Amino acid sequence: MNGAMRTATAWIGGAALLVGLTYVLGGYGLDIYRKLLLTATLALSYNFMFGFAGQIALSHYTFYGIGAYSVTILMTQAGWSLPLAALATIGISAVVALAVAIPANRLEGFYLALATLALAQIFIVALVQGGEFTGGADGIFGFKSPEIFGIPLSGTNFVIALIGLFLGTLAVLQFLGRSYFGRACRAIRDNPRAAAAMGINVARTNIIVFTLTSSLAAIAGIFYAFADRFVNPYVFGIEPMFLLVFMVIVGGTGRHAGAIVGATVLFLLPEFLGDIVGRRYILIYGLLVVLALMFQPNGLIGLYDQLRHRLARRP
Amino acid sequence: MTDAFELLMSIGEAASIYALVALSYMLVLRPTGIINFAVGEWALLGAFLSVSTVVTLKLPYPLAVLLVLAGVGAIAWLTERLTIRPMVERAAPLMTLILLMLAVDIVYREAAVWGYGTANHFAPMPFGSGRVEFGPFGGSTQSLVVIAATVLVFAATWYFFERTVQGKAFEAVAIDRTVASLMGINLARVTALSFFAAGAVAGLAGMLQAPLTTASYLMGLPLTIKGFSAMVIGGAGRVEGAVLGGLVLAASERLVLRYAPVPSAFAIAIPLLLLIIFLLVRPTGILKAKGAA
Repeated sequence: MNGAMRTATAWIGGAALLVGLTYVLGGYGLDIYRKLLLTATLALSYNFMFGFAGQIALSHYTFYGIGAYSVTILMTQAGWSLPLAALATIGISAVVALAVAIPANRLEGFYLALATLALAQIFIVALVQGGEFTGGADGIFGFKSPEIFGIPLSGTNFVIALIGLFLGTLAVLQFLGRSYFGRACRAIRDNPRAAAAMGINVARTNIIVFTLTSSLAAIAGIFYAFADRFVNPYVFGIEPMFLLVFMVIVGGTGRHAGAIVGATVLFLLPEFLGDIVGRRYILIYGLLVVLALMFQPNGLIGLYDQLRHRLARRP
Repeated sequence: MTDAFELLMSIGEAASIYALVALSYMLVLRPTGIINFAVGEWALLGAFLSVSTVVTLKLPYPLAVLLVLAGVGAIAWLTERLTIRPMVERAAPLMTLILLMLAVDIVYREAAVWGYGTANHFAPMPFGSGRVEFGPFGGSTQSLVVIAATVLVFAATWYFFERTVQGKAFEAVAIDRTVASLMGINLARVTALSFFAAGAVAGLAGMLQAPLTTASYLMGLPLTIKGFSAMVIGGAGRVEGAVLGGLVLAASERLVLRYAPVPSAFAIAIPLLLLIIFLLVRPTGILKAKGAA
C-alpha cells in the first residue's frame, strides 16, 4: 500500500470504528460517548493553540459556550434557520476572539492567559445575569432538534454528526499542522525571536491561531447545544477549562493523538472513580499534571512511544 | 461630602488589597518571567490560615499575622524548591514553568477544600467591627487596618529595593538574569527569596480580605484577575505601579458600582476592560520601568 492509500484506510477504519461504537453502546454508555466525542474535539483544537502554537489561553470553554448560546438564542428567540444561525455564531466568536487576542499580543509574554481567564469569568456572570435573553442560572432548555435535509438530528443520527465533527476537526488541524502556517506556529512556540528573525509575523500568527481554534471550539458548542437541547452557564465555566488543559498535558502536548488519549483517560476516570474519590479527583489530576510536566513532558502518548521502541528493539 | 470620603475609604481599602496582589505578581514576574497564576490561591491560603490561627487556635492577632506571613511564604518557597527550581536547572521553557504554577494553583485550592470544605469561614476583624473617624474621613476599622498594613508593606519593599544590597541584586536579576549571574549574584537564592516574599505578601492580602468577605475557596480567582489587571495598569516594571494600578482599578470599580446604571454583577467586567484598554493604548502601564526607553 502506498502512503495515500494507507491514510485513506486509517481514516475509513477509524470512522467505521467510531460509528460501530455508536451501535454497540446504549443508554448511559451512549451519553458518555457523546460527551467524550465533544470533549475530545475541544481537546484537539485546544491542543493546536497550546501544543502547536505555544499559547496559553483559558477561554476555550468560553468559546464553546458562546457557540452553544449564540446558536440557541438565534434559533429560539430570533427564529433563524440553523445554517444562518451557525454562520452568525462563528462570526460572533471570531469577533470576541479578536477583541481579546489583539490587545493581549501587544506585549511579549503570556498576557493572553490572564486576559482570557478574565473573559471566562465575565462570560459566566453575563450568562447568569442575562435575564430572559440567556435564561439566567437555569439556562435555556426544551428547544427542538434541528433537521438537515429532512433528517432529524437526534438519537443515533446526532452521534454520527458528532463523529463527523470530531473527524472534521482532526482533518482540519492535521492539514493546518502540516502547512506553512503550522510550521510557523511551531517555530514561534520553540523560539519567538528566532521565528521573527526568519520573517514570521509573530503577533499576527498568534492572533490567527487563537481566533481559529476558538472558532473551532464555538463550532463544537453549536453541536453541544443540540446534545441535550439544554444550555446552562455552569457547563462553560473555568473548572472544565482547567481540566481541558490537564487533558492535553497528560495526554501529550503538541500531538493530535496525545489530545485524544488525554481527553479519553481524564474524561472517563471520574466516571469510574467518581464514587470513590468524589471531588478529590481534581486534586489528584493537579498532582498528576505537576508530575507529568516534570518527569513525562511528552505525556501518555510519549510513554506509549517509548514502550513501542523498547519492544521493537528486542530481538 | 461625608459620603464622598466614605467612598474614598472604601476605594483605599480595595486598592490596598489589589496593590498587594499586584506586588506579589511582580515579585515573581520580574526576576523569573513567570506570570504566576497561584497568587490568588496564596491569598486564599493566607485567609484560611488566618481563620485557623485567629478563630480556631485563638492566638493573638500579631502572632497570627507572623504565622500567616511565614506559613504562606514557606509554602511558596517550598513550591519553588520542589517544582520550579529543578525545571529551571533543566532549562525548561518558560511555558512549562507557567503551566506548573497553574497546576500547583489547583493543587493548593483543592487541598484547601479538603482541609476546610467549601463553606464560607468567618474571620473576625482585629479591632472589632466599629467605626473610626478623623476629620472628614470615616470608615470601618478594617479599612484602616488594610490601608495601614499595605502602607507598611510598600514602605518595607521600597526600603529593600532602594537601600539594601539584596534588593539591588534582585533588581539586577530582573533586568538581565545572565549578566546578573555573571556578576556573581546567586540566581537560585534570589528566585527562592522572591517566591517567599510573594507568598507572604499574597497571604497577607488574603488575611486582610477575609474579615471583609469571609474566607472561601472561591476567593482566589477574582484576586488573581484583579491583581494582574492592577499590575498591567500601573506598569509591571515598577513597585509604585502596583499601588497606582490598584488605585485606578479600585476607583473605577467603586465609582461604577456607585453611579453607573448597570447591575452590580457587571462590575466584574471592569478589570478586563481596563486590561484591554491599557494593553491597546499604553501596554507598558502608567509608569514605565526604570531605564526603559
